[in-house]
Amino acid sequence: MSPVTLALVATLAPAVAAVLLLVVSPLRHRGAPAAWLTLAATVTSLGAAIALLVARLGGAPDARATTSWIEQAGRPLAEVGVLIDGVSLVMLLIVCLVALCVQLFSVAYMHDEPPKAFGRYFALHALFLFSMNVVVVSPNLLQLFFGWELVGLSSYLLIGFYFARPSAAQAAVKAFWMTKLADMGFLFGLLVLFVSTGSFEWTSAPSAAVATWVTGLLFVAVVGKSAQFPLHVWLPDAMEGPTPVSALLHAATMVAAGVFLVVRADPLFALAPGTREVMLWVGSVTAVFAAGLALVQRDLKKVLAFSTCSQLGYMVAALGAGQAFAGFFHLGTHAFFKALLFLAAGSVIHAVHSNAIDDMGGLRKKLPLTTGAFVIGALSLAGVPGFAGFFSKDLVLSSLEGKASWVPWAMLLFAAFLTAFYMGRVVIKVFWGEPGARAEHAHEGNLAMTGPLVVLAVPSLASGVLGGWLATQTSAEYHLHLGLTPVLATVMSLAGLGAAVVVFGRGGKAPLTAVLERLDTFSLVDRAWAGGYRLGLLGVSALAGWVDRYLIDGLMNFAGWAALEGGTSARRLQTGLVRDYALMVVVGVLALVLIGVLR
Amino acid sequence: MTSIYDTRILNLVIFSPLLMAALVLFLPRTEKAQIRAVTFVGMLFNLATCLWAWTRFVPRHPNEFQLEYRMRWIDDLGLSYHIGVDGLAMTLVLLTGVLGPLVVLASWTYVEERVKEFHLALLVLQTALIGAVCSLDVLLFYVFFEAMLIPMYLLIGVWGAEERQMAATKFFLYTLVGSLLMLVALLAAYFIAAPAGSRSFDYATLYNGLMSLNREVAACTAAGDCSNVSAGASALLRWGPLMFIAFSIAFAIKVPMFPVHTWLPDAHVQAPVAGSMILAGVMLKMGTFGFWRFAVPFFPVAARQYQVIISLLAVIGIVYGALMCLAQKDIKKLIAYSSVSHLGYCMLGMFAFTSEGATGSAYQMLNHGISTGALFLLFGFLYERRHARLMADYGGIARVMPVFTAFFLIVTFSSIAVPGTNGFVGEFLVLLGSFKSNLPMAFSVAATTGVILGAAYMLWMVQKVFFGTVTHQENLGLKDLNRREVLAVVPLLILIAVMGLRPQPFLDMLNPSTERFIARAQYASGKTDAATEDAKVRVRVRELPAKADVVAEAAPAAMPRLMPTGRILPAAALNLQNP
Repeated sequence: MSPVTLALVATLAPAVAAVLLLVVSPLRHRGAPAAWLTLAATVTSLGAAIALLVARLGGAPDARATTSWIEQAGRPLAEVGVLIDGVSLVMLLIVCLVALCVQLFSVAYMHDEPPKAFGRYFALHALFLFSMNVVVVSPNLLQLFFGWELVGLSSYLLIGFYFARPSAAQAAVKAFWMTKLADMGFLFGLLVLFVSTGSFEWTSAPSAAVATWVTGLLFVAVVGKSAQFPLHVWLPDAMEGPTPVSALLHAATMVAAGVFLVVRADPLFALAPGTREVMLWVGSVTAVFAAGLALVQRDLKKVLAFSTCSQLGYMVAALGAGQAFAGFFHLGTHAFFKALLFLAAGSVIHAVHSNAIDDMGGLRKKLPLTTGAFVIGALSLAGVPGFAGFFSKDLVLSSLEGKASWVPWAMLLFAAFLTAFYMGRVVIKVFWGEPGARAEHAHEGNLAMTGPLVVLAVPSLASGVLGGWLATQTSAEYHLHLGLTPVLATVMSLAGLGAAVVVFGRGGKAPLTAVLERLDTFSLVDRAWAGGYRLGLLGVSALAGWVDRYLIDGLMNFAGWAALEGGTSARRLQTGLVRDYALMVVVGVLALVLIGVLR
Repeated sequence: MTSIYDTRILNLVIFSPLLMAALVLFLPRTEKAQIRAVTFVGMLFNLATCLWAWTRFVPRHPNEFQLEYRMRWIDDLGLSYHIGVDGLAMTLVLLTGVLGPLVVLASWTYVEERVKEFHLALLVLQTALIGAVCSLDVLLFYVFFEAMLIPMYLLIGVWGAEERQMAATKFFLYTLVGSLLMLVALLAAYFIAAPAGSRSFDYATLYNGLMSLNREVAACTAAGDCSNVSAGASALLRWGPLMFIAFSIAFAIKVPMFPVHTWLPDAHVQAPVAGSMILAGVMLKMGTFGFWRFAVPFFPVAARQYQVIISLLAVIGIVYGALMCLAQKDIKKLIAYSSVSHLGYCMLGMFAFTSEGATGSAYQMLNHGISTGALFLLFGFLYERRHARLMADYGGIARVMPVFTAFFLIVTFSSIAVPGTNGFVGEFLVLLGSFKSNLPMAFSVAATTGVILGAAYMLWMVQKVFFGTVTHQENLGLKDLNRREVLAVVPLLILIAVMGLRPQPFLDMLNPSTERFIARAQYASGKTDAATEDAKVRVRVRELPAKADVVAEAAPAAMPRLMPTGRILPAAALNLQNP
């Protein structure tokens, strides 16, 4: 099969599954067939992606095919199609592989759901995979936007999976709305790009001023989707969704779509140094800020959620430094180890039926495999040398050397320390220490649960060595260099872990915990948004409601009332008495005469 | 291939519901099931004729109007029975045809009183709606335009909710005020467009007459000296803006645009499900269609003069309507105000006067008919079960009515223009068109915020109604949709998906109309040379058949034959010729 056909198969297989599950309701209602169908579609997608990889290793060139979607005045206004090059192929492989692991894990994790809910869950997974693949293979920004919105939609539906829980419904709306708010930047950016260059291609080179506008607007969408400060507030709430969903959407793939977009639109961003400067700072601030908040979370998933924010901050900072490859590389390794961490966390939550870290503890003996998987993920995230995270984080840090008088570089080094510190805290509290109240009956899940952990542990451990290969595939430069940065990064991560052992090994608390906890519970940013929403939107709308009811409609009703009253008054003239009419005739004649005389 | 039926199909399309109404008239009023079944079959037959007409319509045909039929009617007034469709009209006819049977299905158990009268009203309304869209004679259009008021007035006033009479009266008076203004302007156009002796209400006569006058007006305004123009041009110069305003008010009320929208929430809230569906689905489009077919082409100079004002009102409508939605507690009111917001996009796209904008506007007309029609339809099912309209009366409905919830969510996504649904295509094109146009950038920016507000109020409503736990005991026993109800929704869902994923067939249908609309809106603005422009915009229609009432089968002539004398109303009587 040609690369284009394979790419189409990879994209459309989940769509077929999703449509089938939507239309043929018995499949969905029985539960198990839905899981099989979705898994089959995902395997097909992964198979197609692997076939593409094999072809590419055999020397196949980039492939691109588009067809007109909307025509205007005889020429295509908007095109859709597929583009298979190094970036999209690698992304496709990552997405399909992680999706397969997560779906397999879900079979066991969601086992207790009623069949209808189980079926709905897998139908939504199929929809998500289709949407994500639309983003990945898109040949232009319009199709990317198309998929971008669809992943937002799947995310909304999956966060709100437990819709009967008010908090889940609230979180779903919040996530959708905040990302949609940011997506307006994407839409504006597209419109500005089209009006000035006449196309939606990221290769169309507008003037520097336009490029700054376009990239600035696109970056707003990235901030929303990739949960950067100050639009990050939806991501912790999104943990209301089932844990495998958090692993796939809110850690490995969907939130990384923002980074993917910037990698894709790199030619545009290259024309806009101003935007890159902003990205550098936003990324760095998010990395440190979120890492700080991760330190004080009591909910296992929320630690990982803030950690995701923080790691996405690394990627964005690298992109801001103009090193798209560094960002993309970190995206790849992060997808594996963060999915692994989430699934391991899911395994823990499944075992103890609670998200709270305090309910866990001492699980090392009960859940040896999960412990192993989590520790591998944690070490990779902490950037311990040899693990995948080390290589990509090192590259990110190296790319920041000398930028903006080394400040972002220093911030990210500090964030590296924090990362190791908070992961150390979680590992110690959950797997070591005193067994928690609910840890008693914990036991390892079945093969569907443990299998994906093992599969994901391999790339979390080893995918770092693929940097060189990845660089050639994406025609970027990469060489492992020994210098100040990697040494410092290693020191930082080991110091963080060491500090965690020292502090938490004895059940202590981190310094500044009180301050951070206050910061976390007060959640200034969240309140600012909520206040803005309440005052700005609901307040203004209430005012508009008043205006509409009393002013505008009042005016119209007044016109009607005036006509009615006028008629009623005028009716009194018609008394039916001849003498009244005679009087009026006389008055009228007199008036006319008077007018005639006075003129 | 032309067929001899081509000239007759439209008659069938327009009058088949009326024929069916005649049949219903003879059914005993107690036989409710029979009445419903016959009406349903009638509507299906009507849909079949619409589809037949659709297949006979050739999108890229050189003739603007197809499936034309023309018959002498009142020669002395210059009034003929003249019908025909262009691409936009054809799609609107199909939309009306699709909604027809669904409306009957939706009301199957909803209406239990005066069943016969109800279905008669539906059938008459269908004829009036399709007739208005197909009319190529402006007076005929006016007749249909007014005729649709009566059945709708009855639908709201008789089968509506508690305050139905207030709402029906408000609706009627609002619309009537507008259409009377339009009648005055229409008569003025009749006298100005052609010299005595060749006057006619025919679209071609009016348009072509006004066209040359508009050219004169534009030329003399550009030159700065309008003292030596023809009598007609000087009349148009003086009265054109007023006539445009009169037409605009009439259609703006129908759309409805801010600030003459206040009848809509009341009408929608009180109307039965059928009334809301037709009102939102088709009737509001008469306003946008009126702008498109009459107000802008007849008075392009004035339209360009008022372009910014009307666009501004459209943008205000978008934002204001969305804000109003956020302030509502009543679900039907929320959907009604969302119509104000969505039709703001229609108007903005149209008055951007760019091809993307106009295409988007036309597409948005269809979208709104489908999505908002579906929203009212679905909410009607809920209302029928629970007889409550406030969001606070619901909550956790997803648990008891999963199928209903899934349908409602899909329609919600269409309404907030998620890609993959029809709403995205329309809104995107409208925004693109307004960005490209000469309108201030702030308009487009403000319009885009409407998208976010749309997501806010729709999702907020969905959250309150469907998610969470069931808070009211009464809601626990609600039954999910039955087969009839599913059947009524599914066609709209299919349209949402098809029009969202594969818009091109519909756009092909609309594009020739769009191009002509833009050419007419930009007429005599000095961007293209006069000869080619004239050739492009001139309306060519079938000639009026000779005295004996036969339909001319020949291809339309290059120029319409001018009408015979207008003896009854000499121009001097109104003295519009020489003001």
